[in-house]
Amino acid sequence: MSALLLQQDNLPTQKEEDWKYTNLSRALGDLKSLPAEDVQEILIHKTCGEVGGKVEDIVWTGVDGQHQNIRLKIILDEGAELTLIERHEGRGAYWKNMSTEIVLGANARLNHIRIQDDALEAVQTNMVHITMERDAYLNSFSLNIGGKLTRHDIHVILNGSNIDCSLNGVNLLKDKQHGDTTILMEHIAPHCLSNQFYRTILDDESRGVFQGKVHVHKDAQKTDGYQLSNTLLLSPKCEMDTKPELEIYADDVKCSHGATTGQLDEEPLFYLRSRGLSEAQARILLVQAFVDAVVDKILDETLRTELKEKMGNWLAIALKSNG
Amino acid sequence: MIEIKNLHASIETDDGEAKEIIKGLNLSIPAGEVHAIMGPNGAGKSTLAYILAGRDEYEVTDGSVTFDGQDLLELAPEERAAAGFFLAFQYPVEIPGVNMSMFLKTSINAIRKQRGEDELDALGMLKLIKAKTEELGIANDMMKRAVNVGFSGGEKKRNEVLQMTMLDPKFCVLDETDSGLDIDALKIVAEGVNRLRGEGKSFLVITHYQRLLDYIKPDVVHIMADGKIVKTGGPELAIELEEKGYAGFIGKAA
Repeated sequence: MSALLLQQDNLPTQKEEDWKYTNLSRALGDLKSLPAEDVQEILIHKTCGEVGGKVEDIVWTGVDGQHQNIRLKIILDEGAELTLIERHEGRGAYWKNMSTEIVLGANARLNHIRIQDDALEAVQTNMVHITMERDAYLNSFSLNIGGKLTRHDIHVILNGSNIDCSLNGVNLLKDKQHGDTTILMEHIAPHCLSNQFYRTILDDESRGVFQGKVHVHKDAQKTDGYQLSNTLLLSPKCEMDTKPELEIYADDVKCSHGATTGQLDEEPLFYLRSRGLSEAQARILLVQAFVDAVVDKILDETLRTELKEKMGNWLAIALKSNG
Repeated sequence: MIEIKNLHASIETDDGEAKEIIKGLNLSIPAGEVHAIMGPNGAGKSTLAYILAGRDEYEVTDGSVTFDGQDLLELAPEERAAAGFFLAFQYPVEIPGVNMSMFLKTSINAIRKQRGEDELDALGMLKLIKAKTEELGIANDMMKRAVNVGFSGGEKKRNEVLQMTMLDPKFCVLDETDSGLDIDALKIVAEGVNRLRGEGKSFLVITHYQRLLDYIKPDVVHIMADGKIVKTGGPELAIELEEKGYAGFIGKAA
């Protein structure tokens, strides 16, 4: 099975259960009927044991009035290692229709950082399919800050034992932005660890969706499967829909899921103010700490700093406009 | 230093009604003095501390609080801190993701800025933190941990005293800073207070236990019940209270 691009003449509708909260067809509007550009294919293939800390840094720029089809395929053979930075930007209204396929062989290691800062009128859909073999490692971080509507649809198959798979992300949404992350994590083999850790900040009339499912098959004993989604609401008009799910058929596993949605707590705010911080200063510090907890999972310090700065700018503007 | 006159304050209950908690409280603490407040649960001691710090869930319905010539109740919590008011919290708040050194740096510079002083640079800050943590026997690695997260009871209280010594206040309220401490931690807290006391600062010490007052000798002891000060005396009052219990002072068993 591989990751498939969405077809414009056969778009998912809200009648499908996992598209319930996201109206793709409406967000696309006129973009739906645009003829698709030729598919851009990018293949990154590291052969057996190819390491050396090589970093690939790719940028995709969206172009106004286009329906772009992108197929990204990353194959790491046994023992190969890669850090991949994937950046998205653009101008105007476009549909970036993307599929990502990641195949990690035994003992392969991938650090994947995705910075989605598409134009605010753009739609991005990304259908992701990840398969991992024994002893493989994935540390993925995704920042969603752009786009009118984004849908990140991630299907992971843990095929061998002793896999370590982390999917982390931060969503910063404002105006009428809509950001949807939907994950299906399948534990097929025993002794694997999977972690999903997402934090979302919603401002104005934005809407966030987090649907995460951990499916533990009957042979996947000693599974550790964790899932956490925390959301901070900065405005009374924003909305968060979360649907955490566990489906477990093995009897010796450790799994947990949690979802919280709320405003900033008054108590830490007051504590900081009693120590001399202005209300605005205290809010920024607390909100920054909230998202930094996820960013700190990124191993590369330069990237962490870059992302914290980018998020810090976003937060300063959002918190300023909220007084 | 601080003068509280006829203070009345209430809180809105869940059913939307105002419940009066402070009912005409008078208290005056001159510069350099240590006053202790003792009283049964529900007397309003912690409420008083929160009102002085500026927590907005309490509504002051009558009376005044004058601090160093200023109307304290008019000031925002951060302005009170800059004016020299400090509350050591009964339950210090956890701040996940904000480490101690970042927190102290931000706090000290926020206060210095409000006071019209230059901000401390990284080196100056490091020196100050090192000096004060050593003074209080606090391990330096506490500075790398998130504020109060996973701290033991003793560490939390010591952390309050650390902040108190670093922010250079004029008047401090200690809200049950002694509760739950072993005797060694209690001595460290008391030494911290006694050191500052020597510099002419004033203290209001809220406590349940006479034990603390063996280490921090108060000038005046007040007994508080039902939102008011019901008796004021010297240090001997605390000992008398220990023997007789609150019933002897407020006319009912507490």
